[in-house]
Amino acid sequence: MADTTTETPSEPAAADSGDERLAHRGPIQTLLTRPEIGALLGAAGVWTLFWLVSAPFGTVGGTANFLDVAAVIGLMAVPVALLMIGGEFDLSSGSMTGATAIIVILLSSDTGTLGGAGLSLHLAVPLSLAFALAIGWFNGTLVEKTSLPSFIVTLGTFFILIGGKLGFAKLFTNKVIVEGLDEAQAYDFWRNIFGAQWVRNGHIWDGRDWAWAGLLIVGGVALLLGVLELTYRRRASSNPAGIGVGIAGAAVAVLGLAYLLTQGGRTSDWTGGILVGAGVLVGVAGWCIARYEPADRSEAETAPRFAQYLGGGIVALVAAMVAAWLLDAGNADQLGFLPGAAGRTVFALGVGATGVLAVLAAVGRLGGGWAGIAAAATILPAISFMMTVQAFRAVLFGGLALLGLLLLTLAANRFRLGVAVSGLMSLMIVVLAFFIQGQADSRKIRVQLFTVLLLGALVLASNALARFLSARRTVAPKPPELGMWTRVGALLGLAGFVVFAVIELVDGDGILYALATGVAKGGLIAFGVYAVGTVVRLLFTRDDGIGRSVVSVGLVCVLLGVTSKLLFITTIEAEATRAETRFGVGVLFFLLFALVGAWVLVRTQFGSWIFAVGGNKDAARSVGVPAARTKTTLFMLVSAAAWLTGMTIAFRLNSVQANVGDGNEFRYIIVAVVGGNLLTGGYGSALGAAIGALIWGMIQQGIGFSGWNSDWRFLVLGALLLVAVLVNNYVRGRAEKAR
Amino acid sequence: MADFLELKNISKFYGNIIALTGVTTTVNPGEVTCVLGDNGAGKSTFIKILAGVHQHDEGELLLEGEAKKFVSPREALAHGIATVYQDLAMVPLMSVWRNFFLGQEPKKGVWPFRQIDIDKAKVIAKEEMAKMGIDIRDTEQAVGTLSGGERQSVAIARASYFGARVLILDEPTSALGVKQSGVVLRRIVEARDQGLAVIFITHNPHHAYPVGDRFVILKRGRALGNWAKEELSQGELTQLMAGGAELEELQHELAQAGAD
Repeated sequence: MADTTTETPSEPAAADSGDERLAHRGPIQTLLTRPEIGALLGAAGVWTLFWLVSAPFGTVGGTANFLDVAAVIGLMAVPVALLMIGGEFDLSSGSMTGATAIIVILLSSDTGTLGGAGLSLHLAVPLSLAFALAIGWFNGTLVEKTSLPSFIVTLGTFFILIGGKLGFAKLFTNKVIVEGLDEAQAYDFWRNIFGAQWVRNGHIWDGRDWAWAGLLIVGGVALLLGVLELTYRRRASSNPAGIGVGIAGAAVAVLGLAYLLTQGGRTSDWTGGILVGAGVLVGVAGWCIARYEPADRSEAETAPRFAQYLGGGIVALVAAMVAAWLLDAGNADQLGFLPGAAGRTVFALGVGATGVLAVLAAVGRLGGGWAGIAAAATILPAISFMMTVQAFRAVLFGGLALLGLLLLTLAANRFRLGVAVSGLMSLMIVVLAFFIQGQADSRKIRVQLFTVLLLGALVLASNALARFLSARRTVAPKPPELGMWTRVGALLGLAGFVVFAVIELVDGDGILYALATGVAKGGLIAFGVYAVGTVVRLLFTRDDGIGRSVVSVGLVCVLLGVTSKLLFITTIEAEATRAETRFGVGVLFFLLFALVGAWVLVRTQFGSWIFAVGGNKDAARSVGVPAARTKTTLFMLVSAAAWLTGMTIAFRLNSVQANVGDGNEFRYIIVAVVGGNLLTGGYGSALGAAIGALIWGMIQQGIGFSGWNSDWRFLVLGALLLVAVLVNNYVRGRAEKAR
Repeated sequence: MADFLELKNISKFYGNIIALTGVTTTVNPGEVTCVLGDNGAGKSTFIKILAGVHQHDEGELLLEGEAKKFVSPREALAHGIATVYQDLAMVPLMSVWRNFFLGQEPKKGVWPFRQIDIDKAKVIAKEEMAKMGIDIRDTEQAVGTLSGGERQSVAIARASYFGARVLILDEPTSALGVKQSGVVLRRIVEARDQGLAVIFITHNPHHAYPVGDRFVILKRGRALGNWAKEELSQGELTQLMAGGAELEELQHELAQAGAD
C-alpha cells in the first residue's frame, strides 16, 4: 500500500471521476439495469420452484444432470449471443454440430467398412474443425459481400448441411446413423479431451456441510458489509460508541450461533435463533453508527403511488400466506384433465392474469403490456395441464410472495427512508416462514426454506436499519487498489501451486491431475491471503475502494461453498445413492466459454467492435472498425463452437444420428434472448446467454424430476421466451433512461 | 506563407455527368470555411473528395503546398483530415466513451490478455468533452440518450482528439432545432479557436455567416465564387444562396399574378 504512488502517478484525476450532478447509484441499483437481470431472477425462481417440488433437484446428482443439458445448449448459446449482438443470425449452427460429428466418424472409419477414409483421429479432428471454420467463413463472407440478410444465407447453409448429413450417411453406411467412432485410431487420446467425465463418487469429505455452511455465513456477512460500504458515506473518524455497540452485537450473534450448533431441541433453537437475529441487527446498527455519516431524517416525503404499492404488496403477501397454508399437502396427482380441470384452468387463468396485470400496472407499462397478458394466458393453462397439484400450489405461493415483495420494495423506494416499509416486509416474511413451517410435510421445506426465509428477513431488516441510520453516498467509490496483500497472496499462491503440483507429481498422479491440484490449492491460498488482507484493510484503513474488494471476497466465498457442495460427497450421501455423480467435460467447456465470452465482450477491443457493428455498422466502418472482418470472425466463432459441441456429442455416444442438432439453432437463439440479448443486435450479454442456458437445462430436467406431464414443455418454453423478451425490453428501456 | 489546404479548380466527373467543376478555395488553421449549396449542388461530392472517398479528376489539391490525391478515407485521416458525417457515425446503444474511442481503443496488458484501458478511456473522454465546453455527466451514458447537439459535440471532440487538423462537418445543423444549432455553432467556433481548420457544409446562410471566415457557394456542380467574409454581407450571401436572380423573377411573377 505504501508504493501505490508509483503505480498511477499521472492520473490523480481518475479517482474523482464522479460528477456532482449525478446521484451515485448503489450496487443494487446498478445490478438492476444490467441486461442479465431478468435471466438471473428467472434462474433463481425456476431453481427454487423445482427445488420445492422435486426430490432429486438440488442434490448433486440432479445438478450434474441439468448442467449437462445446459452445457450442450450453452456452449453454443454464448457465441450465438455474440453473433446476435453483432447483428447477425446463424441458422446453420444447430445442424453444424451434427455435421462435424458425422464428418469425424466418416473420416476416421476404416476404408471399406463404412466408406470411411480410414484417417487417424489426429487428422480427422483438425480436418472437421477446418470444415466448420470454412463454413463459418463462407457464411460470413457471403453475408458481407452480398449484403443479404444472414437469415436467408444461413437458411441456405442450414438446408445444405441437413441434406448433406442425411445423403452422405445413407450413401456410405446405408443407415441414418453413423457409428463406430470407438474403433478409430488414436481414439483414447481424443476421448480424454472431448469425452472425459469426472466421477465424483470417490471424493468423500464429511466436513463438507460444515465448510459449506461456514463459507455461506462468511460470504453472506462479507456481501452485506461490502454492499453497505458501497452504498453509504464514510465519516471522517469512527464513532467509538458505535464500535462498542457493534462489537457487543457481533458477540451476541456469535454466541447465539454457537448455542444453536451445540445444543439440540426446540427451546434452544428458539433461544439461539433469537440471539443470532438480535445480535446481527445490533451489530449492523453499531457498524453503521461507527462508520457512516448519520442520515438526514428531517424530511420524509412520499412519491406518487406509494399507497397502491404498499396496499397491493400487503394483500399479495397475505394471499401468499394463504397459499402457503395449502402448500405441500403432498398431493402428487396431475392437475391436467382430472375432473374439475376446466374449473382449475379458469382459476389459474384468473390468478395469472391478475398477477401479470398487477405487475405491469406496478411498473407503469400497462399500455404495452397486452403481449404480457397474452403470454400469461398461454403459460397458465399449460402449467395447469402439466403440473401436479402440489407444484401448482408451490407456483401460486411463489408467485404471490414474489409479487408482494416486489410491490413492497417499490413502496419502500418511494418512501424517503423506506424503513417502516422494509421493517414491515421483513416482519411479514417471518410470519410467512412460520406459516410454511407449520404446514409443510417435507423436512426440506420445514427446515431449509424456513431458515432461508428467516435469513432473508434478517438481511432486509439489516438493510432497513442501515438506511435509517446512514447517509447515502453521493460520489462513486474509487477503484480498489492492488495492495501489498494482493502481491503477497499471489506469491504465496504461486509457491503453493509449485509445492502441491510437485507433491502430486511425485505421487505419480499424472501431470494434468498435478496441475489441477496445484492450481486449486494455490488459488485457495492466494484467495485466503487476499481475504484476510481485505478484512484488515476494511477495519484499519480508509481505502475508499474497499467495498468492491469485500463484495468480491463474499462472492468467491459463496461460490466456493456451492462448489464444495457440488464436488464432494459425504459418507451418508455415498451410502444413500447408488447412481454415479459425474460431470461431463462439456460443462467445463461451457463455463470457460461463458467467462471468456463475457470478458471479450466487455473488456476487449473486439468486444467493442461487436457492439458497434451490431448497433450501427456504417458508423462503425466510418471510424475505422473492420466491420466485415469482425462479422466473419463471429460466424467462424459460432462454427468453431458447433465443432466443439459436435465433438463432445460424438465422443460421448460413439455414434451419431444424421439429424442430431437440427432445430437446435432456435434453442440457442431463444436462450440468448432469454439472457437479455437484443434480437436486432447492438445490445446484450454473454453471461446472460449462459444463464439462459442454465434456465433451459433446469426446466428441461426439472419437469422430468417433478413427474410433470412433459408433453406441454414447449408451450411453457415459448411463453417463457415471450415473458423474457418483455422483461428485457423493459429493463433496457430503464437502463437507457435511468443513466 | 502558403495556405494550409488549397483547392484549385477541383472538378469531378462521373462518366459524362459533371458533378463538380471549378471549385477554388483555401482552408487555414483557425479559420472556418463555409461551403454552401442547395440539394444536388455538389456538396457531398466536395466532401468525399476531401475525405478520400472519391478522387478529383481535374485541378489541384495542395496540402501544405504539396499536391495530394487521397485514395482512401484512411489516408485522408492519416493526413489529419477528419470528417463528421451527417448521420453522425455514432452507435446509439453504446456508451459515450466507447463511441469516443471506437476503432482506436486505448489498450493495456499483453496479448492474449490485452484489454481496453477503460478507466483511462473514461477520463480522457470526459476531459476532451469538457474542452469542447460540454460537461458530460456520465461517460457510461448511451449516446442514444444525448441530444443531437451533444452527439455532434462528441463527434467533433473525437475528431480533434485523434489529431485532426482539418475538420469537415457535413450539415451538422440540418437536423437540429434552433437552440441545438446554436450549441453546435459554438462548438465550431471552439474548434476553430483550438487551431483547427474547419470546413462547414450547410445550406443555411444564417448558420454559416456568423461563424464563417470564407464562403464558397456551389450551385448545380459549379462554384459561384469564393469570398472572404469582408467581401460579402449577410444579405448578399442569403441572396446568392437563395438563387438570386431566379428568386427575384419569382417574386415578380407572384406580384403580377396578384395584380391580375
